[in-house]
Amino acid sequence: MYSPKGVLQGWLSGLGVDRLPEIYGLGGATLVLVLMTYPYVLLTVRGALRRMDPALEEAARVMGYGPVHTFRVVTLPMLRPAVAGGSLLVALYTLSDFGGVALLRYQTFTSTIMIQYESSIDRTLAAVLSLILVAIAVLLLLGEGFTRGRGAYHRSTVGAVRVSQRVDLGRWRWAGATAVGITVLIGLVIPVGVLIQWLVRGLLNDQELLPLLVPARNSLYISLLASVATVLAALPIAILVVRFQSRLSRFFERAIYIGFGLPGVVVALSLVFFGINVARPLYQSIWLLIFAFVVLFLPASVGALRSSLLQVNPRVEEAAQSLGRSQWKVIFSVTVPLVMPGALAGGAMVFLLTMKELPATLILSPIGYRTLSSSIWSAASEAFFAKTAAAALLLVLVAGVPTAYLTLRGHNDGSDQSDRIDEPDMESPSETVEVT
Amino acid sequence: MPWSKRPVDISIQPGVASSVAASGAVSNEAGVIELQGVECSYPGSDSPVISDFNLLVKPGEFVSILGRSGAGKTTALRVVAGFEKVSSGYVRVGGQLVGSSFVHVPPDQRRIGLVFQDYALFPHLTVAKNVEFGLKGLPAEERRERIAPVLKMVGMSGYESRYVHELSGGQQQRVAIARALSPNPVALLLDEPFSNLDRQLRAGLRRDIKRIVQETGATTLLVTHDREEALATSDRIAVMGDNSIEQIGTPEEVYQSPVSAAVAKLIGPCELIPGVFRGGVIVTEAGVFPTRLTTDIHMADGQQTLALMRASELEIELADEDDQRTATIEMTEFEGEFTEYSIRLDSGTLLRVRRRAVDEIGVGGRVTVHTRGDSKVIVFPV
Repeated sequence: MYSPKGVLQGWLSGLGVDRLPEIYGLGGATLVLVLMTYPYVLLTVRGALRRMDPALEEAARVMGYGPVHTFRVVTLPMLRPAVAGGSLLVALYTLSDFGGVALLRYQTFTSTIMIQYESSIDRTLAAVLSLILVAIAVLLLLGEGFTRGRGAYHRSTVGAVRVSQRVDLGRWRWAGATAVGITVLIGLVIPVGVLIQWLVRGLLNDQELLPLLVPARNSLYISLLASVATVLAALPIAILVVRFQSRLSRFFERAIYIGFGLPGVVVALSLVFFGINVARPLYQSIWLLIFAFVVLFLPASVGALRSSLLQVNPRVEEAAQSLGRSQWKVIFSVTVPLVMPGALAGGAMVFLLTMKELPATLILSPIGYRTLSSSIWSAASEAFFAKTAAAALLLVLVAGVPTAYLTLRGHNDGSDQSDRIDEPDMESPSETVEVT
Repeated sequence: MPWSKRPVDISIQPGVASSVAASGAVSNEAGVIELQGVECSYPGSDSPVISDFNLLVKPGEFVSILGRSGAGKTTALRVVAGFEKVSSGYVRVGGQLVGSSFVHVPPDQRRIGLVFQDYALFPHLTVAKNVEFGLKGLPAEERRERIAPVLKMVGMSGYESRYVHELSGGQQQRVAIARALSPNPVALLLDEPFSNLDRQLRAGLRRDIKRIVQETGATTLLVTHDREEALATSDRIAVMGDNSIEQIGTPEEVYQSPVSAAVAKLIGPCELIPGVFRGGVIVTEAGVFPTRLTTDIHMADGQQTLALMRASELEIELADEDDQRTATIEMTEFEGEFTEYSIRLDSGTLLRVRRRAVDEIGVGGRVTVHTRGDSKVIVFPV
């Protein structure tokens, strides 16, 4: 739709624009990937900003630092773990992305692997390429580890955190609004607009809309199961990583992130192999699919739980233990309630990722089991744009509504816990389009 | 088993020292808390945080560990509570061995009430639920019955349904004490409980805690770097050096007879000036003073020593022309009950003298320094 003679050009032709700059290639792929992945950084940074104690910035201002200087020496360093964590997700996602770059005809590792898998009987080369991808993911993880440092990020003082003051931008507010608006326009408004246009055009041409309710229900069901399973799997890992730091636990944490760097198709195909040869009863059941989602999206929920847990003062857990609760009971009576916001955020992220995941869904779904994303895929392959649009809009709706609910809830009762964690934002739905 | 299941008595009545006697686990000879030659170091570090640490807290006693920050006093407390394992020595709580190189009873089985420096209240629970937390295992009704008197005792009745962030620092402190006391622990541990409070609040709360501890008869171990706090609250003070206890005694004993320069500096404001010991007196640049020893070491004639100069034990007089060791008054501060003089010795050392007399000695005056009345200067070997 952003192509030189695409839908967007059609909209803009009234304004005298008859050709947009080239979208295919590296520049276009970068733009699309930025639009697809900026929410990962947005969510983590927003969460970190929200729980940052404004007194830190105020202390810098009082000591004579200007606003820009304060931002550089106080705010940015405090945001470092959040930015690094978000960037890691972006980098790993980009490594494994297939749909977006393939559509924009930019050759990457992932697309080469796909081609190798599809075109040759000997899959050794594809396996080797996948291993190189794993190696790159490992390097990224090591790099992120360096940025983490040894600082503590939970507040060491007592008392409630005050709410940050809003900065009055004055004349700059129009510039700021425009800058933010452009991102929202390109990433959200235009793709959704195009979907609606397709839908309307298709309805006017009496295109048949296949009943989408069953795929929608399937999507919801699978995504809910996957997010619950992933959060349950992530909790012990997060506790191990934060509370029992050792070389082993760090290795564990890193190893999990590799799953996120793997293309869905690699994980799915290895699970097919696993299902046929080892776990025959699981093959062709949704449980294998859910297991694939746990492997793929575990890091997203471990990350959310980890940052949530970092803010729980370990003294609080010790207090519970000194009051006669065993370590196990402390986890359930104190730790779990306190990291609930992080668990919800992590679960919501997995929910969204599962909703729109395509390759694993296509490969591992039981025969005849359709989800929204596989419906989009098949409708798009057959060029039923109205069907595609309807399914895609439904996906945006089904995925967006629960997330929006969580976000609003976070705003309303955010007062009851000073350490409330990143409530997820509305994920950019541009990805639902790009996946097809 | 949650330890609140044990038959314990929480009759919180003025003057009734009940809990320790009722829990029955402690005989009068044994200490409620006993540390013997304890050594504890953090993983990855060679030097122990505390070593050869010895302490005995008797039933119903209020003992403070006084030490500068970093001395390892909080570690000592965490050893008692069970959050740190010891590499050698023995830790006993209520007469039972709970920690040694081969035994480690986890914190939840030690029946210890702990008030953290930052209170560590549960942010997801109300005040009542916080206090109720340690009472798990009792029937619901009994739990509720126990919350009210404990909250009343700490002056927090009426706040049951508040959340922690809705309380001031002092109120959080009270809830933390109520939470620690409600399950009727064998001993109460307080980690720098007043350091996060402002000065005015501190004195009031200090008295409250002393009253509460007396009412419940709880055996208490407090850790602090604030000498006033230690002096005012404790039955005995254990002064910590770098990683073990240097002196333990009543506040009066430790204040009157510190056994080392380090202890003297921790227990009260003072100056230490060098001098030479000569047959019962010490010759310093500030003057010649009669001496007193607080340990039974032998002090040889001509030995280099340090003299402990305390403002309240010194007196000044206007100097005559021919006086040899003189000093200049640099500043006077009138504090109502007394006036504090800052006097500069000719070598540059500053001494402080407290006097009640109001006479003509003013800033710039040349004076000589004496001991007040028949008080003697404590000397330590260098």
